[in-house]
Amino acid sequence: MKILLAEDDFASRKFMDKQLSRYGECDVMVDGEEAVDAFMMALEDGEPYDLACLDVMMPVMDGYQVLKAIRDIEAQKGIPKSKRVKVIMTTALNDERNVKMAFELGCEAYAGKPIDVEKFEKVLTKLGLI
Amino acid sequence: MAEEFNTESMLDMFLYESGQLLEKLEGIILEKQDADCFDDADINEIFRVMHTIKGSSGVLMYENITKVTHKLEDVFYYLRESHPDDVPHMELVEKVLAVSDFVTGELDKLKNGDTPDGDEKQLVEDLDEFLGRLKGEIKKQGIQMPQANKHVEPTQFYITPVAGDDSHFYRISIHYRSDTQMSNLRAYSATYALKEVAEDLLYTPDDILSNEASADVIVAEGFHMLLQTKSTKEEVIALIDSSEAEEINFDELSKEEYGRALGEFGREEAEPVAAAPASAKGDENKEAKKEGPKPGDYVVKTKEAGKGKTLAKNQPKQQSIISVNVEKMDALMDLIGELVIAEAVVLQNPDLKVPGLELSNFQKASGQLSKITTELQEVIMSMRMMPLTNTFQKMRRIVFDVSRKLGKDIELEVVGENTEVDKNIIEHITDPLMHLVRNSVDHGIEEDPADRTAVGKPSKGKITLEAKNEGGKVYISVKDDGKGLNKEKLYQKALDKGLIENKPINEFTDKEIFRFITLPGFSTKEEVTEYSGRGVGMDVVVKNIQSISGRLDISSVEFEGSEMTLVIPLTLAIINGIVVQVGNSPFVIETASIKEFVRVGEDSLISEPSGEEYIVLRGECYPFIRLNERYDLPDSNDKIEEGIIVVLEHEGSQVCVLIDKLLQEQEIVVKPIPPYVRKVKGLSGCTQLGDGSIALILDIAGLLLHDGERR
Repeated sequence: MKILLAEDDFASRKFMDKQLSRYGECDVMVDGEEAVDAFMMALEDGEPYDLACLDVMMPVMDGYQVLKAIRDIEAQKGIPKSKRVKVIMTTALNDERNVKMAFELGCEAYAGKPIDVEKFEKVLTKLGLI
Repeated sequence: MAEEFNTESMLDMFLYESGQLLEKLEGIILEKQDADCFDDADINEIFRVMHTIKGSSGVLMYENITKVTHKLEDVFYYLRESHPDDVPHMELVEKVLAVSDFVTGELDKLKNGDTPDGDEKQLVEDLDEFLGRLKGEIKKQGIQMPQANKHVEPTQFYITPVAGDDSHFYRISIHYRSDTQMSNLRAYSATYALKEVAEDLLYTPDDILSNEASADVIVAEGFHMLLQTKSTKEEVIALIDSSEAEEINFDELSKEEYGRALGEFGREEAEPVAAAPASAKGDENKEAKKEGPKPGDYVVKTKEAGKGKTLAKNQPKQQSIISVNVEKMDALMDLIGELVIAEAVVLQNPDLKVPGLELSNFQKASGQLSKITTELQEVIMSMRMMPLTNTFQKMRRIVFDVSRKLGKDIELEVVGENTEVDKNIIEHITDPLMHLVRNSVDHGIEEDPADRTAVGKPSKGKITLEAKNEGGKVYISVKDDGKGLNKEKLYQKALDKGLIENKPINEFTDKEIFRFITLPGFSTKEEVTEYSGRGVGMDVVVKNIQSISGRLDISSVEFEGSEMTLVIPLTLAIINGIVVQVGNSPFVIETASIKEFVRVGEDSLISEPSGEEYIVLRGECYPFIRLNERYDLPDSNDKIEEGIIVVLEHEGSQVCVLIDKLLQEQEIVVKPIPPYVRKVKGLSGCTQLGDGSIALILDIAGLLLHDGERR
């Protein structure tokens, strides 16, 4: 499985990298723009990501913008819903409005920080990734 | 205020909503426990409650709750679809209560920060067994078995953060020896080491890497950190390099203290919440600027990233808000109303009218008193004001549910949800608004997207919910870009049902035709769906709205859509009114509905042989009402030249009334007319005036209506 991790906070990044590397190859980005670039690049190379974990509060582009950009690119390229990259937002913004908005923008899961690893894994199973 | 409502965490919201639903559920069950069976409305409601809880618990991944509610939903699905007889009612009641207790128990666990780990197996088995018997019964009674209840697995998940209960909170202060070189780098290595274990880390000074001068500050004032971590005190101490350090202070804090300490560190808790949605809605520049795209800046960003990590409960800001029982607020409101009346009684006391009194000091003092009571009124009003955010949130939900159910693709746009309205009014408009929104989704938007594209509209339907505040009134509109209202159809239908008098369609204005849909017994749709069209709709909406002196405006263009606008007063309790006198009786007219006062001569009066009278003003003809005749008031003036004509307006229609004289303008505390007085048309309430007498408040809408009926 190919994983894209965008996270600007060092501690969280290290933690997530460690967790996710168990499931597959994990590319680590430190800001939103890099994440979109990486996504584009992988898509053009014909090796798209299976999973993207996006932080919300990131420099340059925030997680919502990245999510929107990713979904826009996919729509533009005519990628069917089933083939879309699965997106999990990882953030400490746990208020309802933020969560709802992320769902509206089209993420598959929204993980509140600190992340519950057990549930995280369960979601990966439900999404058919592992 | 608006922000406060929205910063509820996802979990809090789930707990709150589910709690409310369960309360409602138990209400229904307990009310009907002695009945023979549930009626259709109850079955629907219980089904809906279970469905909602199942859905949201599925998203939040509380699987035991999902399984149990899912089973009960199934049971009620069969009840709803097949209506079998001889359902063992008591057993069903017990089952519902068992589920309700189970879910409540799990919710309580969540509230206490525990894992909802209740074992659902027994309950699910019981329900399965019950469902099996129910299905058998359905077969035996020869009722067609409905298709199996389809369950849509949630496609989106919310992973709740691990509860921070096992986290420790520390305040660490390091004081370095005064001769320490590059203390900022030492401080940095301390933060670096702590990041390994930190869930949240904040330090001051915070520019230790980029600003060399911070070294001096650290030496002088010490280096302070706030740390949230799962590690123990010993583990943390072991991580900090203590060479060169003169003193390390280590305090363990409680969660609350930590929250307060965050405040001292200058962290604005609420800020990221507000900033993030704004940025995502296209405000990229602002976000980019604020974040500052400095490469490699992420180490310092610890502060940024950690911002939200503290759970909302820790926000020190919330401590400044207390919740008050609404009844107490209402009591306070009443008391202030009485106070305003009492003030008028004192200031306009007949004793003061004795000639030759020296009143200058009294006037000064009374001026001060008036100022304070006015301010007091304003404060209590503002306390009762609530944004429509929550109400609109519910509408979102409805659009979502109903459109999905009906298989329509609909987008909801919400404008002005922060508009504030008196709490009483919010309570009164929720149901009508819900009805309007359902109607729009169900009847407004076309069933077949092809019908939309055929007239050049995007295939996705759109509903706009808008609230605005204008001139002491609140306008809430529900607009859809659906098929609109067909005037001929409405007219024909109203005629067929005998709801209107038989006259040609062109004698009705558009507005009048649209208003047909608010007539009792009118429903344009032949088929009754689950969500609307039971024929008990719009007339109830209008009644509810009128009960808070509001009105419903309808406009529509066929094939382009319809707009329903609720126009309601900002507040009900205190109005600005003009006190007038007819005979010996004072009346109050709401200032906003008065167009003008005029004196006219006898020659402006037109009398019809049937007794109707009209006044001609500047070439316009207005219906004329003599209040003294209408209410049989003796000793009043009958001559037009000697009285004053007041032109009143309501919803675009005007009427003139004759009064004897104008008394004063003042704030009027509206009291309802006591129920033992027979309902009098044209009067909406009463109030007490300064001299202790009672004045009746004229209801312009009622006057017009009554006048129309008479003609």
